[in-house]
Amino acid sequence: MTGPLYILGSFSYGTSLVIAVVIGILFGFVLERAGFGDARNITNLFYFRDMRVLRVMFSALVTAMVGLIVLSWVGLFDYSVLLQYALVKTYLWPSIVGGLLFGVAFAVGGY
Amino acid sequence: MKEFEYAQGFWNSYTAGVALGLVLLLCFYLMGTGLGASGPMARAAAVTAHLVAPQAVESNGYFKSFYKPGKKHPFVNWMVFEVIGIFIGGVIAVLTARRFRPEVARGPRAGVGLRLILAFVGGIIGGIGTRFAMGCTSGQALSGGATMVVGSWVFMMVVFAAAFGVALIVRRQWL
Repeated sequence: MTGPLYILGSFSYGTSLVIAVVIGILFGFVLERAGFGDARNITNLFYFRDMRVLRVMFSALVTAMVGLIVLSWVGLFDYSVLLQYALVKTYLWPSIVGGLLFGVAFAVGGY
Repeated sequence: MKEFEYAQGFWNSYTAGVALGLVLLLCFYLMGTGLGASGPMARAAAVTAHLVAPQAVESNGYFKSFYKPGKKHPFVNWMVFEVIGIFIGGVIAVLTARRFRPEVARGPRAGVGLRLILAFVGGIIGGIGTRFAMGCTSGQALSGGATMVVGSWVFMMVVFAAAFGVALIVRRQWL
């Protein structure tokens, strides 16, 4: 079936909330096992003591990116739906200001 | 490579990365949106403030979108349910890794007080940051990054630049 399923109307809002919890559980489990649940692991990156956070993050990015492209090649994913409805819009200055604040908080707060 | 004591049961970086990417991919395939975490925090803030000052929240330029007449409660929201799932998943992961223990994660030279104060300050600054950028490391960096959103990549680069810089100042907390 061609995705994204929810936007194309394959299931109801109620079902989507159940899916939310299931995806959340998977996400939480993997994040913890990736080490994103420990501030020491995250901040070790900023002192070049352990680059694990970057390795995890960018291999995740590449996996999802390639996956989406492959799915749309084989006709299982309609990228235009994503572009039209769901993609985060770019607001350059807010991204920069928000990024600065979040980056400061990343080192100060640890997450 | 040196094995860190807290890292017991962590997966290999690339295994974890690919697994994380597959969860994100599944989320895009099913829902058409990525994963997130900071939105529910804003909703929690709105609901808390609404208990004390409903009028002010409902007329506030940002919060009023959560309280439109006839709309469901702000917590009946996809991402709020997802974050509840994240908590459950995290608990399962830490329990099955036999690593569960209450502690305040910090560097060996930092006191608990300092760490908690800085965590609180960081939380406030980061929270404000996510509202400017419409997302955090999950919603912007991961989900926006994987769909090649320009703003998300800008956000990601600025985040790391700022974090590496400020880390020099808060070195005592972590090392």
